[in-house]
Amino acid sequence: MELDAKATRALNYFIPQMVSISKSGMVQVGILLVFILGGLYALVVQIVEGHIVTGMRDNVVWGLYIANFIFFIGISYAGALISGILHLLRVEWRHPIIRIAEIITIISTIIGPAYILLCMGRLDRLHHLALYGRIQSPIIWDVLAISTYLIGSIIFLYLASIRDLAALRDYPFKQKWRKKLYRFLAISFNGNAKQNRFLERGLTIMSAIIIPLAVLVHSVLAWIFGMTLRPGWHSTIFAPYFVVAAVFSGTGVLIIALWVFRKYYHLESYITKIHFNYLGIILMILGALYGYFTFSEYLTSWYGSETWDMEVLYKLFDPHEYWWWFFFSAILGVALPVLVILIPKFRNINSITAVSVIAVFALWVKRYLIIIPTLETPLLPLQDLRPEYIHYTPTIIEWLLTFAGVALFCFLFFLFSKFLPIVSVVKGEEGTNYAELRKKVMQRVLKRKIKEEKRKASQKLQHI
Amino acid sequence: MEKGKKKQSRRKFFFKTATAAIGAIGGAGLIAQSCETKKESGETMTLLSPDGKLVEVDKANVAPARMPAHGKNARKGIPNKKFVMVIDLARCRNARKCVSNCQKMHQLEPEDEWIKVFLMQDSDDTAPYWFPKPCFHCNQPPCVKVCPVGATYKRTDGLVLVDNERCIGCKFCMTACPYSSRVFQWKDPGQGKEDDENYSPETSVPHKVGTVGKCDFCPDMARMGKLPTCVTGCPNGVIFFGDKNEDIVTNGTESFRFSELIYDRAGYHFMAELGTEPNVYYLPPVDRLFDYKKGFKTLTPEQAEFYKKSIVHKH
Amino acid sequence: MKYMLIISLATAITAGKGLAQKAVRKTARVQVEYFKGPDKTENLVATLIVKEKRYVPFGEAMLYFYCLNDTARILLDKIKTNDAGKAVLTVSNNPKITKDPEGKITFIVEYKGSSAVKAAQRKMAIRQGDLELSFFQKDSTKSIEVSATETGADNQRTPIAKVNILFYVQGTFSLYNFAKEKTDENGIVQVAFPVDMPGDTTGVLTIVAKIEENRTYGTIEAKGEINWGKPIQPVKEKKRGLGDTDAPLWMVYTLIVLLSAVWFHYLYVVYMMIKIKLAR
Repeated sequence: MELDAKATRALNYFIPQMVSISKSGMVQVGILLVFILGGLYALVVQIVEGHIVTGMRDNVVWGLYIANFIFFIGISYAGALISGILHLLRVEWRHPIIRIAEIITIISTIIGPAYILLCMGRLDRLHHLALYGRIQSPIIWDVLAISTYLIGSIIFLYLASIRDLAALRDYPFKQKWRKKLYRFLAISFNGNAKQNRFLERGLTIMSAIIIPLAVLVHSVLAWIFGMTLRPGWHSTIFAPYFVVAAVFSGTGVLIIALWVFRKYYHLESYITKIHFNYLGIILMILGALYGYFTFSEYLTSWYGSETWDMEVLYKLFDPHEYWWWFFFSAILGVALPVLVILIPKFRNINSITAVSVIAVFALWVKRYLIIIPTLETPLLPLQDLRPEYIHYTPTIIEWLLTFAGVALFCFLFFLFSKFLPIVSVVKGEEGTNYAELRKKVMQRVLKRKIKEEKRKASQKLQHI
Repeated sequence: MEKGKKKQSRRKFFFKTATAAIGAIGGAGLIAQSCETKKESGETMTLLSPDGKLVEVDKANVAPARMPAHGKNARKGIPNKKFVMVIDLARCRNARKCVSNCQKMHQLEPEDEWIKVFLMQDSDDTAPYWFPKPCFHCNQPPCVKVCPVGATYKRTDGLVLVDNERCIGCKFCMTACPYSSRVFQWKDPGQGKEDDENYSPETSVPHKVGTVGKCDFCPDMARMGKLPTCVTGCPNGVIFFGDKNEDIVTNGTESFRFSELIYDRAGYHFMAELGTEPNVYYLPPVDRLFDYKKGFKTLTPEQAEFYKKSIVHKH
Repeated sequence: MKYMLIISLATAITAGKGLAQKAVRKTARVQVEYFKGPDKTENLVATLIVKEKRYVPFGEAMLYFYCLNDTARILLDKIKTNDAGKAVLTVSNNPKITKDPEGKITFIVEYKGSSAVKAAQRKMAIRQGDLELSFFQKDSTKSIEVSATETGADNQRTPIAKVNILFYVQGTFSLYNFAKEKTDENGIVQVAFPVDMPGDTTGVLTIVAKIEENRTYGTIEAKGEINWGKPIQPVKEKKRGLGDTDAPLWMVYTLIVLLSAVWFHYLYVVYMMIKIKLAR
């Protein structure tokens, strides 16, 4: 495939990173592997001894694992909604970030459902879902939605990477397996007009369909909770609430990933202030929207005096119980990102990333606060003397598996970066500074004006 | 000198044996007395214990075998029956015989309860009362709606049962049930092999790790015309059980017409507004047989303290 | 000599205990009930209980059943009690049983005793009664008629007057009592049929009439079935619904439409990819 100068430069820049690994890189991977091995050990313990090794008991039957599951599926919105919408709207500065966003989606859509499997009592009966599945159950909706979503994301990532795969295919790699792999994956793409047309059509379709699909996925997840008769869960705005929170957390993770890659792979020329600013604004808007939904949800519960809703609220507002976590996730986690990004003086790459970290943490805590306080307040009084049945405390097994999940996320990201350039090589350097963007916008406006003039001229001619 | 010694040793020997013999007889007599009043038959039979060993068990300790329906037949209800339960809150004094009988019947750990007795107080000024709560076997069961594999199901005779050979342990039913009726097997119950042919959703034993269990209204007993053990075990006849189609409920000693009992004593559903349409009715605690404080007698001191703290003391 | 003293002391104590034991053997009690079922078989149910703080059933003990003929005891059978302390003897059509001139039969159930439990016995004199149950309908009133008769020493039937008859409907788990009447001088009693009680799908009700725990006649039961009750609707299996195995049709259709829409687009994109490969 023919590459222009920018693309060739980019390719030569990324290939060494893909092929080799630095010493500090090895150390970091080593640390990640340690966490992953810790998780494996915890998994073996749990399989052998049963779920009694977790902190879950008959009241809080869903704990850290389900919180992680919702968290990871929420993060997956980075690819689906951000890159999907950006692509659909042909936003100029999308190219460097689309691949990272899509990889985030795929990895989190793999790790998230893994947490459900950890929470299931009988993994040896997984095939029952296919044999005896009941489509009236929100869990079956979830299984269908998430598997469809995963496949859709993989197709979307693949399509968006075909140009790069073609470039990689043409590069003289030393390793034979790389040559074979890229040749197979590039499906004879060589950038001619016809192929470009098909590719663009495919990309448009996928980016269009992945948006409603993503909304459905997270709505179905919300309905698993919303369809039960439990205080704090049986809420009508749960589906849109989860969708908004997911885009919020997805954007946050995207910003963090961009910052990490920019720093460690020295991508300053590709991922610039523009991306952080625009994504930061998206984060701020979503943060405000999320804060609005949270406020509406809790104000409505508190104002109406239903006993069962109030019991959960009292737990959330009780300083001895969950108040500080609630304050952090619902108030601080919304106010800080919004304020920091709103005020231009505070808006810079590092500060935007810092509030993204806070936002992501706040949303993890929020998932925990959605699940556990509700399960700790059943409708019938908790007259059980065993402390682990009254109050849920996650055990070391659950924490080990949580950290292993995060480590696995980073590790899989690292693996991906060895197969594909993290930033789109062929079109990567487009839209990396304001001057260029302005130029492009002016060009588009000029084109439109010319078209308009031509049309007027032809009309005049017709009249005559 | 030697002869004398021999005589001495012979005498010693004689006395020693005599002592031993008399001691033995006397001892045997003592032991025999303590044995006289045992009621065990002395006849034993060889059985296969749950962990696969051959054990000698006294015949007096062997209960008759249970005869539930298995497999697909366990999904069909007993024809033309609609089981219903009525619990008389005016008689309950937290004797907890229903709890212990159910645990014995279903081989449960002492901490797992499929019928629970709560101390309820509807509001600060109202009187506390003891509230036995089995599974309600709802006619619109939220647990059955959400099960992804159909492991829990509703039968035509009104019972909601769990098939632990199909359950995947996702615990969605446990979050969906608003009445906290379900119990999960968090660890291996150690009750026999996984592919035990004796397992039936009608008996719910042997338990399997990673699956859900709950009160099943003892359908295998109903097939034999016997009442569930919680009903027969109650010393005050609190729980009535019967067939709604026949309109007769009984607590083992008294029988009433179900429709008359509910009408005369103002039977109600617990939290009827949830719309689950339970099959368990409650008779309000009016003209009570016992003061609720008598219910603390069956609890340990620390349990009693816990319960006392959980209610507002205006009485 | 020292040893002899100690041993003799020990023996004396145990012997003394043994002697004392013999004096305080446990008390036992025999309870006897006479049952005559609807199929006319007569049973004697004997229960042996022994006092251990409270009276508890005494299982695996031998009970001897006798019939008194004048002054002679005729052994009918010896039966071991089960774990619940009960022993059942069928006494219908037993040639060894004789009636005295008044028409009474005297049964004696005896526990011979053991070294630990005292002997006990119970004497019971009963008359042989009989219940006949029939249904009749006059105009539109449906009734049940029961006739109580007694078979005397000369095997003549005479009516039993002024005896309490209890009327039950048979349920799955118990009997429901709906009427209680005394027989008239002719031994006959009539009660209204409970037409508002639900029967089975054809309205069949089983009525049980009992003379219950009567001192003279024991317990006599008579049964009858007739379809005068309210028929019930046979319970139908629900077909499709939120709580059933099969989902409501609209759900199935919605799911098919949604999934097909998405997967159709996936297939189209794969088709695009094939076209890319071909447009090399």
